[in-house]
Amino acid sequence: MADSPPRRHLLLHVALISFTLLSIYPVLWVMALAFSGQQSVGIIDLPKDPTFFERLRGILPIPAHFSVSNFTGVWTEQPFGRWLWNSTVVSLMTTVLGVFLACTAAYAFSRFRFPGRNAGMLTFLVSQMFPGTLMLIPLFIIIVKWLGLGNTYFGLVIVYATTAIPFCVWMLKGYFDTIPIDIEESALIDGASRQTIFFRIILPLAKPAIAITALFSFMTAWNEFILASVFMEAESNYTAPVGLRFFVGGFSSQWGFFAAGSVIVSLPVVALFLYLQKYLISGLTAGSVK
Amino acid sequence: MRLLRWLARTHVLGLSVSVGITLALFTWLFDGAERDQRSQFEQRLLLLQANTLAKTLANAPPDDLNLLLAKWKARNPRYESAALVGGMDLLASTRPEDTAPRRLVREEKPLYDLANLIRTAGETNRGEKVVRKKLMQIDRLPGGSDVVTVPYLANGEFAGILQIKVRNPYANATDQKARNSAGLWLPILIAAIGLGALLRSRSESRLDISRMAALAFFLSLTLFYQNQRMDDFLQGDLDGTHRVAEAVQEAVKNYGVPPTGAGAISPWDTDPYLRPLGVVLGDGRIIDENRMTRFNEHTRFFKRSLWAVEALGLGLLLAFLFGTMRKLVETLRQHADAYTYVAPAMIGMLVLVFFPFLYGITLAFTDTTLFNESMPFFERWIGWDNFVTILGDFNLFQRSGEGLIWNYQNFYWTLMITVIWTVTNVSIGVSLGFILAMILNTDDLKGRALYRVILILPWAIPNYITALVWRGMFHPQFGVINQVLQMFGMAPVAWFDGVVSSFLTGLVTNGWLSFPFMMVVILGALQSIPKDMYEAAEVEGANRWQRLRHITLPLLRPTLIPAIVLSVVWTFNMFNIIFLVSGGEPAGANEILITKAYKIAFENYQYAYAAAYSTVIFVILLVYGIFQTRVTKATESF
Repeated sequence: MADSPPRRHLLLHVALISFTLLSIYPVLWVMALAFSGQQSVGIIDLPKDPTFFERLRGILPIPAHFSVSNFTGVWTEQPFGRWLWNSTVVSLMTTVLGVFLACTAAYAFSRFRFPGRNAGMLTFLVSQMFPGTLMLIPLFIIIVKWLGLGNTYFGLVIVYATTAIPFCVWMLKGYFDTIPIDIEESALIDGASRQTIFFRIILPLAKPAIAITALFSFMTAWNEFILASVFMEAESNYTAPVGLRFFVGGFSSQWGFFAAGSVIVSLPVVALFLYLQKYLISGLTAGSVK
Repeated sequence: MRLLRWLARTHVLGLSVSVGITLALFTWLFDGAERDQRSQFEQRLLLLQANTLAKTLANAPPDDLNLLLAKWKARNPRYESAALVGGMDLLASTRPEDTAPRRLVREEKPLYDLANLIRTAGETNRGEKVVRKKLMQIDRLPGGSDVVTVPYLANGEFAGILQIKVRNPYANATDQKARNSAGLWLPILIAAIGLGALLRSRSESRLDISRMAALAFFLSLTLFYQNQRMDDFLQGDLDGTHRVAEAVQEAVKNYGVPPTGAGAISPWDTDPYLRPLGVVLGDGRIIDENRMTRFNEHTRFFKRSLWAVEALGLGLLLAFLFGTMRKLVETLRQHADAYTYVAPAMIGMLVLVFFPFLYGITLAFTDTTLFNESMPFFERWIGWDNFVTILGDFNLFQRSGEGLIWNYQNFYWTLMITVIWTVTNVSIGVSLGFILAMILNTDDLKGRALYRVILILPWAIPNYITALVWRGMFHPQFGVINQVLQMFGMAPVAWFDGVVSSFLTGLVTNGWLSFPFMMVVILGALQSIPKDMYEAAEVEGANRWQRLRHITLPLLRPTLIPAIVLSVVWTFNMFNIIFLVSGGEPAGANEILITKAYKIAFENYQYAYAAAYSTVIFVILLVYGIFQTRVTKATESF
C-alpha cells in the first residue's frame, strides 16, 4: 500500500496496452490494406529470403505506399456505390418499420394485462432459438415464390424487421416498465386517448431505449448477408455485405477493394455503436440487475 | 342494433361461417389435388412415350438407331426431336444438323452430366436395394415443349440416355369434362345462411333442438360437397387412366405388343423410378382393381386432411353454438386497445417467423430436394426417415491400418465439434472478459475510458467483416500470422489443412469478437457492487481471494448467468465465423451444426434433410434452454 498509484498500476498498464494493441491489430491491418493501393493480402511484398527485420516490416500495419486508389476504385470500377445505397435504403426502412412494430407491441406487453400476454412474450423468446437455416427455405418460398418480392427492398425489409422484433420488444418492454404509470393515469383522467398518451408521452420519454432499438434494427439489416444473398440474385441488387464477400469469397481475391469497402461499411456502425454504447450496456443489464 | 340482436339470436352466423370456412378449405384442397392429378398424368404420358421408344431401341443393332429415331419422328407431327447419348458419344439423333454418331461437343456437357447422374442414380438404387433416386428427368421448356430423359439400356446394361422433345403433348389431353361440382359451393353457402336464419337458439337448455339441427345441417351440407368433389376426383383418375390406356394401345399399333406379352403388365407405363405401375396391361386393357388400390393408397393422406378440415369446421360451429365464440369476441372487445397495439408485430411474427418455422418442421418430414419440389406434397411425405438417418447413423469412425479414420460427415462428429466450439468459446469469452473487467475496474486507473473504447471496437465491427479479415490474416502463404511465426524461425502453418489448426482459426476469430460483450457486461455489474462491502470485508480481515470468492462472484451471478446463456445460444449458432473463416475445412471436419445444415441445403440441395438437421438443432437448444432455467431456478436459493 506504500506505492503511489502510478507505480502500482505500471504492470496493469503494460498488460492493458499490449492486449489493446493485439486487439486492434486486425483493425489496423484492414486500414493498412485499404490505403495500400494494391489488391494482395500481404501489406508489403517480401523479398525472396526475408530477414527478421524485413518480416517485421511486413507485419507492421503501415502500407508501403500510401494511396487512396482502393477507395476511388471501389466507387468507380466496382458497383460498390450501388450496393451501399441498397444497404442504406434497406437498413433505414428496416429501422423505421422495426422500431414502430416493436414500440407498439412492447407498450401493450408493458401496460396492458390481457389474455395471451404471457404466451405471446414466451413465444417471442423461444423464437430466438429458431435456427436460421430452418427458416431460410420457407422464407425464400414465401417471399420470393408466393409474394414475388425477390430482388426488392421490401422483401428484405419485412424479414429483417420481424427478425429484430423479439429482441427489441424485450428491451423496450423493460424500459417502458420503468416509466411510472401515474403519468398515464393522470393523462387518462384529463381525457387523453391511448394514442395521444402513446405518441405524446411514452415515446418521448423512452427516447434512449428507442435509440438502442433503432441501432439494433439498423445493425441487423446492415450486417446481414445470408438472406440478402438468397433473396437478391441480380448483382445490381446486392447489399454491401454480399458485395464485400463477393470481393474475397470463392476464387477472387481483391483484398484491397475488400479492405476499402470494409472501412466504408464499418465507419457508420462503429460510430453509432460507440456513440450509443452507454445506453446499450444499461439496456442489456437492466433486466438482470433488477 | 336490431340486426345484431337477430344475428345473436339465430344460428345464421355460426352455420354460415363454419360452412363457409370448411367449403373454402375443401375447395383449396381439391383444386390442389386435381392440379397434382393432372400433372401426374401428363408426366405419366410423357414417360410412356419415352419408355416405349427406349424399349424399342434396347435390342436394336447400333446401325439401326438413327433409322428407328427417324421413324419415330415421322409418326407424329408433335414429336420434335430425339437424341441418344452414350458415354462421350452422340449415338443417334433426329436433328438434321447432327451427323450421328459423333463425339459430344463442349456445349453438350450438360447431356454428359445428365447421363452420369442417371447412371449413378440407377446404381444407388440397385446398391441400396431401395428406390430412392429417380431414373428420369422431365424439363418443361418455355415454348410449350417438354423434354424427357430416360436411361437407354442395350441388352440389359446401362448404355446411355435417350432424350425426346415433344411439343404440346397435352394438346388433346386437356379437354377434360367440365367439372360441375366445383361451383356447388355457392348454393350450399346460401342454403347454410337460409337454414341458419330459421334456427332460433334458446340458451336455457344446453341440448335444444335448434343446436342439434344446426349440427345436422352442417354435416350434411359439407359432406355432400366433399362427396361430390370426391366423385369428380375419382372420375379424373379414371379419365386419366383411360388416356394412358389409349396411348398404350396406340403404341402397340406402332411397335407391336411388348415382349412380355399382351396379358402381362405393360412395361411402358412406369413411375419415375421406371417400375411398371401395374395398372395397364400389355395390350392396353385397364386392371380396375389395381387402379383403385393405387388411387386409395395415394389419396390416404389427402383424405385424412379432408377429415381434419371437417373436424375444424365442426369445432368452429360448436364454438359458435355454445358461446365460446361470443366470449372470444367479448374478450377481444374488452382488450381492444391491447390487441390493436400487439397486432402489427404479432401478425408480422406469425407470417414471417412462426409460419416459416412450422413450414420448415413439416418440410423435415418429406424428402424434398431441389429436383422434386414441384411434386405433390403427399408423395414427398416420408415421415421420420430423415431423423432416423441423421440420429441413427453411428458410423463415426473406421478402423484401418493407420488407426482410426473419423467420418467427418457424421452427425455426432459435428455435434461434438459444435459442443467443443461452444464450450471453448464461451469460456474464453468469459475469462478474458472477466480479467479485463477486473483490471478496468481498478480505482483511479488512468486512461480507463480510452482503453474501454478501444477494447469495445471488435464488438462494433460487423462480424462478417471480422471473419473475412481474420481469414486474410490466416492466409497460408501471405498471411500476417505465418509471417510472425517465420519471424521467430518457425515453419509456416497451413492453417486450413489440419483439423486442430483450422479449429483454432475459428476460435481465435470468435474469441476476438466475443470478449468485449462479456467485458462490458461484467464491468457494468462490477461497478454496481457497493464499495463499502469490500471495505467491510477488509476490516474483517478477508484477503483478496476471499473477497473475490465471497463478494464479487456471488454478486456477479445474476448478471453473468443470462449473459452466458445468451452467448451459448449465439455461439452454438455462430454461422458467420465458421462459414467465412475456415468454411469447415478440412473436408467438413470443422463444420458446426448450423453451417452443416446450410451446406446440405444450398450445396447438396437436400432441402428436407437440411430442415430435419435444423429441427434437431432447435430441439437441442430448446432442451438446453429448459435445463438451464431449471438449474438456475434451483440454485437461486443458495
